[in-house]
Amino acid sequence: MENLLKPDYGVLLLTVCNFLLLVYLLKKFAWGPVINALEKREQQIESDKQTAANARQSAEELKKELDDRLAQISTEAAQKIAAAVKVGETQKEQLLAQAQEQADRLVAQAKAQIEAEKNKALADVRSEIASISVLAASRVIGQDLKDANADKIVAQVLQEVQQK
Amino acid sequence: MDVAETISHHILDHDWGVVLGGLRLPVTTHSVTIFTVSVLLLIGLAWAARKHTSRAGRLVTTLLEEYVSFIRSGIVLPNMGKEGRGMLPYFCTLFLFILSVNLVGMIPEMKTATSNISVTAALALCSGALIVFSGLKYHGFVGFLKGFVPSGTPAWLVPLLFPLEVVSLIIKTCVLAIRLFANMLSGHMVLICLLLIIFIVGEMSKAAGAGALIPAMGLELFMTCLELLVAFLQAYVFTLLTAIFAGSVIHTH
Repeated sequence: MENLLKPDYGVLLLTVCNFLLLVYLLKKFAWGPVINALEKREQQIESDKQTAANARQSAEELKKELDDRLAQISTEAAQKIAAAVKVGETQKEQLLAQAQEQADRLVAQAKAQIEAEKNKALADVRSEIASISVLAASRVIGQDLKDANADKIVAQVLQEVQQK
Repeated sequence: MDVAETISHHILDHDWGVVLGGLRLPVTTHSVTIFTVSVLLLIGLAWAARKHTSRAGRLVTTLLEEYVSFIRSGIVLPNMGKEGRGMLPYFCTLFLFILSVNLVGMIPEMKTATSNISVTAALALCSGALIVFSGLKYHGFVGFLKGFVPSGTPAWLVPLLFPLEVVSLIIKTCVLAIRLFANMLSGHMVLICLLLIIFIVGEMSKAAGAGALIPAMGLELFMTCLELLVAFLQAYVFTLLTAIFAGSVIHTH
């Protein structure tokens, strides 16, 4: 049991050489490639993260720009709609006024025409009645009334009728 | 063969008696174990580090990368900072080497080379050399020596403190060897003692020996599980302490 703590320098030296050689060989054939691959991948991930962050920032800027433009377009559209509505209202009122005016003119024209037609018809009726009356009167009295006298008499009779 | 001899036989190194030109070569059970483990590690890890196309191969490579990440992010960088990056291969090898040698000792008929003080001393020597190399690399010879004395120490205290700190570093390194050696040795001693209980009791009475079989085997199983844990733990502790000591030399007070 006393040999437990008794160092074997040969084994010690061999272990040191063995271990250092193992470190060297593993560095060359195992750890080196793995560490390189790992660092390369980490760099790639870091680069991708940076790219993603840049893309995100660009997207946010673009979104902000688009939002601003959208807000601007909305404002412009609202202004244009309001202007169009106003123009429409004005045109509507103008059209209504024109239509009213035209309608009034047509009504007045129609009334005047009707009045003229009525007066003309009345004049015709009067003339006809007068002729018939003269004819009837001449038949009654058995003589021809001279036109001048007849007109005078008719005018007088009409005046009396109108006065009644 | 008494109990002490039985334990010694199972734990102590055995010289194979290889002599070349009158010079004794250190071909012993432990050195052969170490050599075999080294060769297997070299072949296995070199294969695992290659680019694989098969799924199993890629899985092995991924596991290896995870292992390297664990050593780098869990041990080297927190204790040594970015200066430790260049020494990562050493720590990767150290942990896996100690772990493999510890675990090989768990296989029946195999020997635990880390229960040999010469082996653990060799590993501690390598770690000690790494610690000194780190100090010299980052501070130069004078800077390295200055690092032993904390800044702000009164001048009259320096002659006292300097040797103390130097001895402290040497003791720390020696303790690395003793800790690993003692832990692995004691575990295997306990395992053998538990097995010997059966035979000792059996010599007194065969029935009692048979009765002791089940509790002794239960304890043996428990201790084997504990030894597995200790195998991982000691490999981790050795590697971690080496990184801490190297870090303390690089980042002085």
